[in-house]
Amino acid sequence: MASESASVIQRSQVDLLDFIDWSGVECLNQSTNHSLSNALKQGYREDDGLNLESDADEQLLIYIPFNQVVKLHSFFVKGPEEEGPKTVKLYSNREHMGFSNVNDFPPSDTVVLSPDNLKGKPAVLKYVKFQNVRSLAIFIEDNQSGSDITKVQKIALFGTT
Amino acid sequence: MVLEATMICIDNSEWMRNGDYSPSRLQAQSDAVNLICGAKTQLNPENTVGILTMAGKRVRVLTTPTSDLGKILTCMHGLEMGGEMNLAAGIQVAQLALKHRQNKHQQQRIIVFAGSPVKYEKKALEMIGKKLKKNSVALDIVNFGEEEEGKPEKLEALLAAVNNNESSHVIHIPPGPNALSDVLISTPVFVGDGGSGFAAAASTAAGGGVDFDFGVDPNIDPELAIALRVSLEDERARQEAAAKRAAEESARREKGEEPSSSSPDANTVDSDKVRAAGTTEDAAEPMVILSY
Repeated sequence: MASESASVIQRSQVDLLDFIDWSGVECLNQSTNHSLSNALKQGYREDDGLNLESDADEQLLIYIPFNQVVKLHSFFVKGPEEEGPKTVKLYSNREHMGFSNVNDFPPSDTVVLSPDNLKGKPAVLKYVKFQNVRSLAIFIEDNQSGSDITKVQKIALFGTT
Repeated sequence: MVLEATMICIDNSEWMRNGDYSPSRLQAQSDAVNLICGAKTQLNPENTVGILTMAGKRVRVLTTPTSDLGKILTCMHGLEMGGEMNLAAGIQVAQLALKHRQNKHQQQRIIVFAGSPVKYEKKALEMIGKKLKKNSVALDIVNFGEEEEGKPEKLEALLAAVNNNESSHVIHIPPGPNALSDVLISTPVFVGDGGSGFAAAASTAAGGGVDFDFGVDPNIDPELAIALRVSLEDERARQEAAAKRAAEESARREKGEEPSSSSPDANTVDSDKVRAAGTTEDAAEPMVILSY
């Protein structure tokens, strides 16, 4: 299973980092010194010392628009064992979401991350739901240990255009 | 120029009838609100401001965030006082109004005028503050009017829960001779990050303790300030030169008068002309020549 998902990644899926429209990227409830660029941007995300951290409580809402329509296949989240994210809900093509309306629409997919995922195993998504993605909202609902702060070291999205 | 949507929460409770802020607390709030609206729209024409009242039967939104100053001024008219202020509900309704703003790229800010006693506990206020911070809403609290025990602490606790990177402030204004709006002008509520020309000019007009030449702040308009200063110096130099010339002329005249007494009229006429020239130059002193 693990080898299958690894080969699936190699099969013409690319890292969608180049298609992200950075001017519209937003993150709600991020701590000022530990912002989203630490987890998304090339270079910063490779550094395990630089994390995205949540501020007032453990939830995070990340909004990533793309500059063209993409198909999302899988995504890969790296984080510390304790404070890394657990339940992650993805919403495709929903703009301007807030914490109050995350529960209003059903997510396009929900992933519960295991400690394996946090170490390096990518999470495969329901490909059919992500065929026509213009923007992606990632809602991190809680973390592995239930602590007040969620830490994310790296977020990578894989798919095709 | 930060693009911002602001909701102002006005306290129109019974406590606002008090006249310790002239002419009445409610009137002082109205003036402050008008000034804030003007300042915000001047900072950036796309900024919007909305108003709601917190007291009475329920929290009432008078206007949703708009950049139309006229609409804001009209709805400030005929405000009725009554009931008790509901701080928590007011802030939550303000947050909702901001959530549904038209331009989603605007930063969200709430300005609360807390003039009457706060009946909510610190814990409840901290929860509200946390929710505001989570949704990246900044909060400015103007503590005036009733001085109740524990009120400043409650408001400070609310500020601590909301404050993200020094973008939120609490301002305590005790009753005094200065109008509420004048005191507010010099606070971060108006000045924000880095100042605005409107605020600085208004503070000089209000008789603030800042002393600028020609009444023009060199920070706002350096070219104008320099041009004014240069013209005044030119004028002064010209007058000094003219005065020196006049002095020399009259000295020569006096020397000249002794040998040639045959033409005293011509001399007096000449000295009259010189004196007249001197007075016209004196009259020209306040006139300033601007050359760009």
